[in-house]
Amino acid sequence: MTNLKPIIALIFSITLLSCSNDDDTNEIIVNNPINYTFERDGNSTVAFSGQSTRIGMATELIDAMKDFDQNTSVLLEMYANQTAAGDDANPYSDAELNASTKSVKSKVAASADFFASNTSESATIKADFESWISAQVTEVFPNQNELAEAGKAGQLADGTSARYVNAKGLEYNQAVNKSLIGALMVDQILNNYLSTAVLDAGTNKSDNDEGITEENQSYTTMEHKWDEAYGYLFGASANTSNPLISLGDDNFLNKYLARVDADEDFNGIAQIIFDAFKLGRAAIVAKEYGLRDEQIKILKENISKLIAIRAVYYLQQGKLALADQNFGAAFHDLSEGFGFVYSLRFLRESTGPNPYFSKSEVDAMINLLMEGNGFWDLNNTTLDQLSASIAEKFDFTINQAGE
Amino acid sequence: MKFHLTKIIATLLFCLGLASCSEDNSSDMSMDDFARNEMLSFWSDEIIIPAYEAYVESLEELDQELAHFINQAPKEKTLSGLRNSCLQAQISWQKVSMFEIGEAEKIGLRNFTNIFPTDTALINKNIAENNFNLALPSNFVAQGFPALDYLLYGIADNDQQILNLLKTEAYLSYLTSLISRLLELSDLVLMDWKNSFRNEFTSNDGSSGTASVDKMVNDFLFYYEKHFRAGKIGIPAGIFSGNTLSHSVEAPFAKEYSKTLFLEALTNIQNFFLGKSHDSSTEGPSLASYLKAMDQEPLADEISAQFNEAATKAAFLSDNFKEQVELDNSKMLEVYDELQKAVILMKVEMMQVLNIQVDYVDADGD
Repeated sequence: MTNLKPIIALIFSITLLSCSNDDDTNEIIVNNPINYTFERDGNSTVAFSGQSTRIGMATELIDAMKDFDQNTSVLLEMYANQTAAGDDANPYSDAELNASTKSVKSKVAASADFFASNTSESATIKADFESWISAQVTEVFPNQNELAEAGKAGQLADGTSARYVNAKGLEYNQAVNKSLIGALMVDQILNNYLSTAVLDAGTNKSDNDEGITEENQSYTTMEHKWDEAYGYLFGASANTSNPLISLGDDNFLNKYLARVDADEDFNGIAQIIFDAFKLGRAAIVAKEYGLRDEQIKILKENISKLIAIRAVYYLQQGKLALADQNFGAAFHDLSEGFGFVYSLRFLRESTGPNPYFSKSEVDAMINLLMEGNGFWDLNNTTLDQLSASIAEKFDFTINQAGE
Repeated sequence: MKFHLTKIIATLLFCLGLASCSEDNSSDMSMDDFARNEMLSFWSDEIIIPAYEAYVESLEELDQELAHFINQAPKEKTLSGLRNSCLQAQISWQKVSMFEIGEAEKIGLRNFTNIFPTDTALINKNIAENNFNLALPSNFVAQGFPALDYLLYGIADNDQQILNLLKTEAYLSYLTSLISRLLELSDLVLMDWKNSFRNEFTSNDGSSGTASVDKMVNDFLFYYEKHFRAGKIGIPAGIFSGNTLSHSVEAPFAKEYSKTLFLEALTNIQNFFLGKSHDSSTEGPSLASYLKAMDQEPLADEISAQFNEAATKAAFLSDNFKEQVELDNSKMLEVYDELQKAVILMKVEMMQVLNIQVDYVDADGD
């Protein structure tokens, strides 16, 4: 069934195309540019500096979690961009980030569709990140110069490098890094900025129809919301209007789009996602909301699939390394897998309001990974079961994702 | 629509392909008639165990040289004895580094022996604080031969100052720890080969992912790609980073031995491939003779010729690779290209002929 959707989209586009070819009075003109470049009266209407800023803040946080000279309060300030007392904080090395009033925390599990009326879950998720950040300092840092074993935090060899894990084998920095991909990037893109509740809020549609821009800005609100979704994926790209030429410019969603696109089973997914962002934005300019909504479906389907593929990939890679008793490599993969599994909560079915995975489903998966001595106790059966329960909701196999 | 039909057809074809593949595999389970057991015995008895014996012996000599250095009157102490015996041990290491299997694999011998570039700041910190645990992965880069290279050649600007520092308790104690650890770990590996692993290794003579030949060939190739081709040439020549890293050569502080160590490693790689015994006095069953037995003599000859080609190109290199990278990196790149050609021949063609699966992948990199 799912395979029909792109076909419908294709037929729809063809119909559009034929319409515009007709010398019809009601012809629809969608000017789909080659790059993600949109202008009004000669000024660019594309803006997503807030997203680039948050990617920058998250990047500094992830790096700082690996710095044994850091303390809990500075790390938590990097997460919240304010002090524990709620005052302005300047925890970043980049002065522009310090000057910003934005933060990572305020946008974690904060989408309109999933969390606006589910603030208790939002608070729990926000607090999960705080507990991982704090535990890095209180559990892992003190054991910097200890060898890890079941029940004991410390370091493990992964190839020629050292990985620092908690008593269950989890790298907290990986948990934070990969979970943010879901809780910040994917949640904001799929469940907030690509939500019709946000795109079409208030007078957005009529403003967009009439070309009424935001005060002192060149863009309409709807255009800007769309760009903000785009910015969570491409906001750190070297060339933000033509981002596919250098995929992998951040350590978050963009990096893993590059990784999945490099897998021959999924090659082309980056182009599909970029094209949908671009055509959807062009459709907003053309006031073609049906076409825009078709692109939203494509984005929901493919961005959700991307996270699920990566979750299965790391669970399977961890399984392979465990078979060789290569605990450092295995736990590193599983720590990344933990974050991608945590991120599953934020995936969104392409039609309707539903997530692919409920909170209780994801909690159960995380519990399976962490129960007892955590990664030290994991076996192939558990990892295969988890992989199957993820893959079965999508049109890929464990083998396609796992290698 | 068309696209999807193509995809469905492709998927169907793929499934059909898989089905026939798995049938093939089952017939392949019956081994070829090459005597893998004899090759494993020859490897163990004539190459690997003698190489470890020589390596342990060279470390014992280094250890004795250290004892001699410690016992000498301060005025009589010199660096030359320590430096010479360290070089001999480093050369001996090039004969065993590729055999990271059994106990060596379990303890991660190579990680504790020869990971470079060494971290001089960490070494200085370890010496200053005198509170370090060399068993930690984070100390891979503060021990082994690269750390000895730093201590014996790099801790000060001239030999007299180096000698003066090595006479102090803090430096001498670290030097002693490094040498003791090399000796202790290599001894563990040699003892394991002699006590039990030799029989385990030779009797595991089947043809599967966990069989000795399959594992050894994978370990050999992994060493060739990562630690030999990349470690000794590719990384300093900037193949993986885009800019040259001249300080990442092997033995950058001694300066003049990087080529010696490289050529020694190359010779040992070729000898293992051709089945030359440790002292080169005899030849036995080998990867080359295995290929010949599978009617692939031209491939065996091509691989060996490729090693010769790399040696020919390496003859143009300075003894000092750091200098070579800085003055004319193109000659390093030429050697790299020849080494890379052998990777293709072995990893793709040889593995296919011998029906061995590559069991390692490039790391994720994060």
